Order: sequence, then C-alpha cells, then structure tokens
Amino acid sequence: MREELDALVLLLAGGIGSRLNILVGHRAKPAVPFGGVYRIIDFALSNVMNSDLTRVGVLTQYKPLSLMRHIGTGEAWDFTGRTRGVKILPPRTGEKDSDWYRGTADAIRQNIDFIESNPAEQVVILSGDHIYHMDFDAMIQYHRHKNADVTIGMMVVPKSEIHQFGAGIVNRENRIIDWEEKPRIPRTNLASMGIYVFDTDYLLSTLARDKKEIDFGMHIIPHAIEEDRVFAYPFYGYWRDVGTVQSYWQTNMDILQPGSGITPEQWGIRPNPDAEGLPMDRAPARFLAGCQVSGSMISAGSVIEGTVINSVLSPGVRVARGAVVRDSVIFEDCCIEEDATVDLCILDKRVRVGSGATVGSGDNLEEVNHDFPNHLYTGITLVGKKAQLPAGMRVGRNCIIGSGYAGRDVLTLDDGESLL
Amino acid sequence: MRKPSTLAMILAGGRVDELGVLTHYRPKSAVPFGGFARVIDFPLSNLLHSRIERIAILSQYRSYSLINHIGTGSAWDMIGRYRGISILPPFKDYENPHWYRGSADAVYQNLDFVRYHDPAEILVLSGDHIYQMDYRRMIQYHKTQQADLTAAFIHVPMSEASRFGIAEIEEGSDEGGRLLSYEEKPANPKGRWASLTVLCFKPRVLYEMLAANQEQDSGSYEFGRDIIPMMMERGCRVFGYKFRGYWGYTRTIDEYWQTSMDLLGPAPRIDMEAWGLRTNLEHRAIRDCQPLIVGKRGVLDNSMAYNGVVVEGEAHNSILFPGVRVEPGAEVRDSVLFFNTVVRRGARLDRVVCDVNSSFGAGSRVGRAESAISVIGWNNQVPANIRIGAGCTVYPRIDSDHWPAVGLADGEVLQ
Repeated sequence: MREELDALVLLLAGGIGSRLNILVGHRAKPAVPFGGVYRIIDFALSNVMNSDLTRVGVLTQYKPLSLMRHIGTGEAWDFTGRTRGVKILPPRTGEKDSDWYRGTADAIRQNIDFIESNPAEQVVILSGDHIYHMDFDAMIQYHRHKNADVTIGMMVVPKSEIHQFGAGIVNRENRIIDWEEKPRIPRTNLASMGIYVFDTDYLLSTLARDKKEIDFGMHIIPHAIEEDRVFAYPFYGYWRDVGTVQSYWQTNMDILQPGSGITPEQWGIRPNPDAEGLPMDRAPARFLAGCQVSGSMISAGSVIEGTVINSVLSPGVRVARGAVVRDSVIFEDCCIEEDATVDLCILDKRVRVGSGATVGSGDNLEEVNHDFPNHLYTGITLVGKKAQLPAGMRVGRNCIIGSGYAGRDVLTLDDGESLL
Repeated sequence: MRKPSTLAMILAGGRVDELGVLTHYRPKSAVPFGGFARVIDFPLSNLLHSRIERIAILSQYRSYSLINHIGTGSAWDMIGRYRGISILPPFKDYENPHWYRGSADAVYQNLDFVRYHDPAEILVLSGDHIYQMDYRRMIQYHKTQQADLTAAFIHVPMSEASRFGIAEIEEGSDEGGRLLSYEEKPANPKGRWASLTVLCFKPRVLYEMLAANQEQDSGSYEFGRDIIPMMMERGCRVFGYKFRGYWGYTRTIDEYWQTSMDLLGPAPRIDMEAWGLRTNLEHRAIRDCQPLIVGKRGVLDNSMAYNGVVVEGEAHNSILFPGVRVEPGAEVRDSVLFFNTVVRRGARLDRVVCDVNSSFGAGSRVGRAESAISVIGWNNQVPANIRIGAGCTVYPRIDSDHWPAVGLADGEVLQ
C-alpha cells in the first residue's frame, strides 16, 4: 500500500462500436475477443495495473453483461484488496437526473459522486476500446511537471486518418493552442487517443460549468484550451482503435508479424480465463499427425488436424482433417469440419462450418457488402455467434452471416450478400 | 449449503526416489504433468467432480512448490464456508517430536484436525497418480457394505504385480467384494488386483487402528504395509472396490514418459479436458500467457503445447509446457519439456524429459531415438554443440565449467 493516494481511473466502456457489426451484436465493444485469449478492454485494464493505479471505475451502458462478467472481481488485474478495486458504473436514475449517458463528459458528470468518494489529485479518463501499451504513471508525472489542468495523450497519425480523431495543434512546450474535432481538412497530424489526465478539482469545476457540454472532444477540450492549461502528452508506440472490421482484423494480424510492434504478453497484458466459467481448464492445444500450422497463434484447448495459416485462434477451436483456415480470426469453440475452408474471415464464438464448406471464396474482394458498405469493403467475411453453416455451403467475400443462423437451404452466398 | 460428510486426506509427502532429479526439489505430487498441470491436479480434480470439498494435504518433502500450487484452493472451487484445502505440514509439540514417519503416522498426528471436522467417511488418497475416478460411487459402495475400509484396486499385469499392494478380492460381483488377502509388494503375488491407494475408512475404526499401530511401536507406520494387514488380521470389514478406468503410474522416469505419451495421438488415453482437469493457473502465472505462436517454418506434429509456447523449429511427438521456446532449426522429438525450457538453434532432442528453466545450447544433441530416456534437472544451461547420450541424468544447476567437453556417454550421470 502506498501512502499517497494514486490517481483514480475512469474507463469509458459504454460505446456501441456499431461499425464492428455483428461482433457487437450481443456485447459491448470493449468485450469483443481479441488476440486469441484477450478481450479488447484487457489492454486498458492491464495498462492501468502496470501503471500501479489501483482504483478504477468502468462506465458501462451498452450490453454490459459480457463485460461485467469478464471483469468479475478484477482479480485478474490485481484490483482486489482493502484499498484497491474496480467498480462497474452503469447509468442510473437519481433524485433529479435520470438519463442514459449522452456522451463521454456526460457519463463522467453522472458519476461525480464516485469521484468525490475516491479522493485523488488526478483523474485518468480512458477509453476501453484501444489496443496499446502505455504507462499512465509517466503521463501523470508529465501532467504534474507541466502544472497542467488537463493532459491529453496524443500521437501522430497519417493525415488521411485524422478525420476520425480529435486533432490538436501544439506550441513548443506541447501546450495545445488549437483544437479541431474530426476535421475534414486536417491542419495537423497529431491525434487525440482519448486518454485524459485531469486535475480532480479542475475536472469537477469544469463539469459543473455547463451541463450541455456532454463530450470531451466536442465541448470540454475546445473550451478548456481557450482559458486553461491543456497539454499534449506525446505517445510513440503501437496504438490502434479497433473500431472497424478492417482495423480489428489487421490488428489481430499484426500480432503474427514479428516486428509489428504489438506483443501482448511482453506488454504484461492479462486476460481473464476464469471469467469463461468453464468447469475444466483448457488443456494444451493438440496438434495431430499430418496437421500444418504456420505463422499463427493457437490457444489452449484447440485441436488441429488440418491446416492453419496466418490466423489467430481462440481457445477450443477444432480444425478437422483436410480443413484449411487462412488469414482469419476464429473465436472460441468454433468447429471447422473436414475439408472445409475458411479464408479471410472472422468467426464469432461456437460457429460450426460444415464439412466441405467454403467461407470466403473467390477473388472478388471489391464487391462491398450490400447492406453495410461502410463496414465490409476489404473482402473480410463475418460469421456470427453460434451460426451453423451446412456442409458444402459456399460463402463469398464481404458477406455477413448473422448470429445463430441455422438455415439449411441456402448453399451459395454471393460476394457482398448477407444472411441476417 | 450442505455440510460435507467426507473428509479427504491426500498423501503428498513422498519424494519417490525413482523419479530422480525431477523430485530433488519438489514432492512427486508437484511434478509437472500434461503440458500445463501437476500430478496432484488429478486427485484434486477427481475430488472436485466428486463434490468432496473438504480436503487436507499431508505434505512434508520440500513443500513449497506444492503450497504454491495449491494457493487458496480456489482453482478447484475449494474455498468457501464448508469448502477448503488445508495443507498440514509436520510439526513438533508437547507430545510429538517427529517428522511424519509414514503415511499412517501423518494422519495419526493430525487426528485432532480430523476429529474437528467429524466426517462420516475419511478418504485417504495418494497425490501421485494419474487417473479419473468418481469417488462417490466407491463411497456409496463402502456405505452399502457397511465396510470399515474400502480400498480401490485395479487389474495390473502379473509381471508388474510385485510393485504394488496386491489383494485377492472375493468373487461374485463386478463392483467389488470382501478382501481375502492383502500383501504389500509381495515377491510372489497372489493376484493382479493392485491398490490405487484410494482408501475409504469408517472414522471410528481408523482412529482405533492408527492408535494400535502407534502402540506397536514397530517403526513402520504405513497404510499399505501396516494398517490394511492389521485390519485384515483383526477381522475388520475390509472391501475391495474394482476400478476399471485408466491409471497412469509415474513412479519411474520411463513410466512418467510413457504416461505423458499416452496424452498424444488422435484418441489419447487421457483427454484432460473431457476429464474436467483443473490446475491452478496462477501457479507460474500461466493464466497470463498469450496463445502459442507457431512461426512461419514451425512444425508441430502429434504434439501438445500450451499457451505461452513459441515454436519456430520442429516438435514431433512431444509435450511443451508454457514458456517453452523451440528456435528455428531446432528439433524436438518424443520429449517432454517443462516450463520455460529453451531449445536453441540447431539443437536436437530425442527422448528427453527436461525440468524447468533449462536451455539447450545451439547445435547440442541430447538423447537418442528408441533408447532410454535422458533427464535434465532444472536450471541447467546445456552447452552448445555438446553430445549427451541416451539414458543420461543431469542433476539440477550444473555449473557452466562443470560440463565435460566430451559430453556424456549413454547412461552417464552428471552431478
């Protein structure tokens, strides 16, 4: 136990993340499985743990059950103990206010009582949606050193991507002197990572100022830079917002590339295998004679008889004899039956691909998904939780098959088509 | 909430000489097994699935590894109002100055603990065996027979029988029968029913027998050698319960290796997940491992490997524990590599069992196909390009200047 109370962490985990399509059909984006054994929020929680911060509130809103179950007591991230803890903070009705969280700042404002009951000099506000490794303690030291009111974690991104972010223009001292939220025409390439360190008193007075200010990027920060000391904390490592199917897939693939900069175990990222609530532990993965595996990550409990190339497999995946899995991300307990092929796909949990079926077939990666052209446009095919694909089925590129699909009649799904 | 009626006591004190360097610094029950677990996980998981959740572990030999492994007991759900694992180390007190002088003495010395829990049955188990068993069926049989003791037996080949406690069981029932004779490690075994060291006692009778054993003051305090024969002699109701499942014994290195190999193949003798095996994922923090990585040229063939493994070379017919690295060009065959073993470039291992935290230098050759198993103790850095033959034993922590340049001939021991 430390004498001085360390900063309080508020983790925003309520976003829908709707661009992840059916992957967020029954879970919040931070609870989406990632990298075989992790969920997206494990990165933020582990960074908090590895920064020696011990008090965390997780603000949930959208489909929180999966997330709550995953966080459990917080023991996986060492948040249990007399003065340590992780608390789930759902929206609630009170005497006066009764509302859903309307934005990032609004969500924090509705939890001022939590902040007041956990005294700390600084409050760290994070998003639970990002894949990265960062020492928040160093950022807090920087914040104190700069005598800042607010410090924002920022990194350089390609100018073509700046329109997705809050963009800051800084002076020589890294003080932010101008701010543009999701600018169409960029003036800078310095993007906000959605990581804020606030002086607690400053945060409380700012939130009290105007209840119509409901978003940090849109309202609070632009207002703050006019009058107060707002600094950028430059970050140079690997950081990804896995908010789109393409970036989600690419970030998974990055783990397979030596030198890509993402190394979850070395970073000290911790999963929470207990949260699955299995009656047994996953045994070591088994590789039967004749299997071929290359450039892949395979998790415990998997049984591989066929071929796995350049793919990420969660626990308990079965790849039968003659089956091929290539360039894909496969969630827990999927079963790829004999001679089936899965190519450039993301399969949610417990999908069964019948024998001889092909999911992700053909060379036409350009035919975007007809229902969600902004979600699937690079060739990736999505299959929802527990979907059962009949033997011999052919599924093209940029297709979506919904959760629980169990139809037996459709045996061909053309590029860009969906079965929802 | 149901108060448990059965108290299980696991005998986990033993060292088992034949396992050699694997048990220099840990008891047999804490020896790694199955690519991620420990031997004692098998009886503990059996207890879990039998819903016997009040457990004592009698531990004496280098207990730390075991204590660490048991942790709070939560890995087996054995934490709660009436659930728990108590580790009972030997102690001195006003009356007793001894170490545990045998399995029966260990239980005797802890009778106050046993009486406090006031069990309806006392289940005494060995912590050293690989098997899957629902103890509830045996306990039911024990109750039906109104037995003083029910012991589980398994059919073994006649050639092996003299290594075990051997019983003759009354004919007539597939389930079991009255014990007609019992001999511990007989030179001329009268049968093929070998004791699994799974013993269910009526508490009152057990207390009596343990006290009588102490009074004899013979210097021998073992369940197999002393207590069971004494109960037979005194005409107690002693029954044999016939167990017909798989029983992997791991008393020697060869057996350990063979039982490990039984995990491999399309239809393994032991399917750990189907059995419902649980281990403590906190131990060595294996819960925090990332999935295993297979490199572009990695090969995994008829092998098993847990999270945290990196395979860039080849592994054939082998078991790789978390943290094992097989570097490019290295080849591992018919081997069992414990936690954090590193096999450097171009090294080749055949029929090796290697304890934790050791490494094989680039280009080293250890063991030989179709030959006796070579065993490497923990925390060794096997030098690059060395030749180590078949059936060799390397003690833990050999100094770097102590390795013979010529290597080790077949059967040699380096200590």
